[in-house]
Amino acid sequence: MIEPGVGSKHATTKYRSQFRIYVDIMRVIQREGNQTKPTRILYGANLSHDRLVKYLEELKSLGVIQESPLDEDKTYSLTQKGIEFLNDFRKVEDFAGAFGFKL
Amino acid sequence: MAAPYWFFGYDSLMEFVACGIAMAIAYEAMKGYALVKQRILLYLNLSFILLGAGLLVDGLSNVVIVFARFHRELLFLYTIGYTINFVAQLIAYGILVFAYFQQTRAFATQITMAAVIPIMFMQRNSFSELILVFLLVYISAQTAINYSVSKGTNAFLVLSAFSCLTLAHVLFLLFTIIPILFPFAQIAQLFGFLLLLAMLFRVNQAL
Repeated sequence: MIEPGVGSKHATTKYRSQFRIYVDIMRVIQREGNQTKPTRILYGANLSHDRLVKYLEELKSLGVIQESPLDEDKTYSLTQKGIEFLNDFRKVEDFAGAFGFKL
Repeated sequence: MAAPYWFFGYDSLMEFVACGIAMAIAYEAMKGYALVKQRILLYLNLSFILLGAGLLVDGLSNVVIVFARFHRELLFLYTIGYTINFVAQLIAYGILVFAYFQQTRAFATQITMAAVIPIMFMQRNSFSELILVFLLVYISAQTAINYSVSKGTNAFLVLSAFSCLTLAHVLFLLFTIIPILFPFAQIAQLFGFLLLLAMLFRVNQAL
């Protein structure tokens, strides 16, 4: 389970919560065929370089993404835990969205 | 005024089915809360637990009356069951309205609480039933806005469900004048919950 950050308490705030950024990063990786370079994530998730590095490290420590040890250029992919989390999150998002609630 | 004599038993059955669906939705909301820790899911969970509990108590009280062959000394259970169900629904729909206020930030929290608390102490009468209808109209309007934006099937199912629940409570309100409306109110209520169940199935089969 991914614990949301401090900013996620109020879903209506304009800025993205830490939790939302985690999901955005993971969705970019998934969208790119589950093998993505950091620059693609940076543009896809709309993050600065420093924040991207920080969040990628956090996601790695949570075990939801992994860095490819084989590629010369760093690439990231979702782990099985990450794929399952995104699937579960999609269901929760659809469920809340049916009532008109944004997560 | 009580429901038509011939309908006793069927209404309890419908309430038990609706209770099961309400609890399934509460469980789904709880599962979602465990995953994303968003308070809005806790409100949904609490709201549907209350709806389910109210329906269960009302259904059980009616079953006891039917099994006791409408013994005069047990008829007070009908009023108790109805009142508990009524109060549970007021709080449940009040929580949903509060959740929508929180989401849209249309009103300050204090104003919402001030509006919900007096509702909880209303006695059973047509006026208090009317407040329930107003709460449901507000929720239906919110789900209609959501559907107009998303155009999704799930949003449509939720909009239809709350529209049915609103219709059901309008019929419950009118049944004090026209008793034959009671079965239609129960059917509309059950149909509303069945639509929510359809949404739940769709959400869980989406992947």
